[in-house]
Amino acid sequence: MSARIAGADNALVDARSGRTTTWARLRAPQLPAPAAFVAPSSYEALPAVAAHALTGAELLVVARGRMEQVLRAELLEAGFNVVEGDEVERSQSPRDPADGRLWLLTSGSTGRPKRIGHTLSSLTTVTGDLPPRRWLCPYSPGTYAWWQVVTLGLGAPGQDLVVVDPADLEGWVPAAVEHGVTAASGTPTFWRQTLMSHGDELARVPLEQVSLGGEPVDQAVLDQLRELFPAARVSWIYASSEVGASIVVHDGRAGFPVEWLDREVEGRPRIRVVDGELVISSPHHGEGLEGAVRTGDAVVVEDGRVLITGRTSADEINVGGAKVSAGVVRAVLQAHPDVVWAHVRGRKAPLVGKMVVADVVLRSGETSAPETLTSINRWCTERLPDYGVPRRIKLLESIPAKETLKSDV
Amino acid sequence: MSAVTREQLRALMAEVLEAQGKSLPAEDGADLQQIGFRSLDFSELALRVEDEIDEELNFDAAGLRQITTVGDVLDLLTEIQQS
Repeated sequence: MSARIAGADNALVDARSGRTTTWARLRAPQLPAPAAFVAPSSYEALPAVAAHALTGAELLVVARGRMEQVLRAELLEAGFNVVEGDEVERSQSPRDPADGRLWLLTSGSTGRPKRIGHTLSSLTTVTGDLPPRRWLCPYSPGTYAWWQVVTLGLGAPGQDLVVVDPADLEGWVPAAVEHGVTAASGTPTFWRQTLMSHGDELARVPLEQVSLGGEPVDQAVLDQLRELFPAARVSWIYASSEVGASIVVHDGRAGFPVEWLDREVEGRPRIRVVDGELVISSPHHGEGLEGAVRTGDAVVVEDGRVLITGRTSADEINVGGAKVSAGVVRAVLQAHPDVVWAHVRGRKAPLVGKMVVADVVLRSGETSAPETLTSINRWCTERLPDYGVPRRIKLLESIPAKETLKSDV
Repeated sequence: MSAVTREQLRALMAEVLEAQGKSLPAEDGADLQQIGFRSLDFSELALRVEDEIDEELNFDAAGLRQITTVGDVLDLLTEIQQS
């Protein structure tokens, strides 16, 4: 195995059980390609990855929690043999496996999860000499973000992995301290939840690298992480199953410099904005997605930065003819010192068609706080046009999150 | 959920204005323009009523009419809840 896996001796740690191994010591299963491997946990998905790295056998990894009946039927119909524990459900539409092919499932935030074809090579976007690190991988097995961290551990010597399942995230901070995690990648929702519930404890994790991705990143969460880890590199990454990791920002600021738009650099993604939507041509794209891909992500340019505000399909709220970006309102709310999370949407209303309303989680977790609501209203009034100020704010006790660690529920 | 009374409507309307740093006069004849009660405020008031009664208001039932005073707003929202 070590001849084929550059990171063969990297440690693989299961945060829940403390089990530790290396890629070289993993027993890679023989999977009936093309295989859809149903992973009971992130750690238990790693042998399937090792098997693919050794043989190139066509593979799709999916977390057990995401494997609904409809998805299972779709995969069987598409020729996959579904492997769950010792059981194999054979496809009724058998086909030849495609050598080297890996399939990812999108998060499904815009509908049903889609299958995007990749290879280990197209998923490996971090190259060059890297300082030794022990990475926390909190993502759901089989997602793009999960593969990003896993391929790092697979292909780069010195990059250990500590894997934790989305269902066990409550306990990740003590586990990260125990196992000496020095780098962690998570969605802004993941970081906000952790800052809210384990803020003091989090500072004990010796992080040198803090990465955020998978959702729009706002300045407030970046600032909180910078304050907690002043010596760490704080990076946010724009990545998707379709265009791969395309934008990486290390300057601690939300968004990316407007100068990066329309730049032509050999081997680098080309980024454009068309009608307020991010359009990317990426060398890390999925199968069949060459050229310019409309990402479906809405952007605004402010103070020389391009800010991603949300999905184009959900971002624009029309209030009596005036257009409001839900992402911009969310960023203002989340910059309020008492707010840890906000979800903004349009709600049907008389006279103006839609009004801006929000669900908010306070740092205190309170669900009744009239004085704080008054303060938030004043904060928004000072920073937003009057039609952009949320007129109804519902306080939630905790941040709702899906298995993909995103909060856009 | 029972309907919001005219008195409760007035209290909700006062809350909407208060959040804008304005106050609601006691007279039903007070002019909306003069007290700074705008379409956004009316919409917010309607949402507050909907939250109270846990039901969406049907404004189609009210037909077209002019709303210029505090009393007009209270009448309209009272009537719509009964439709």
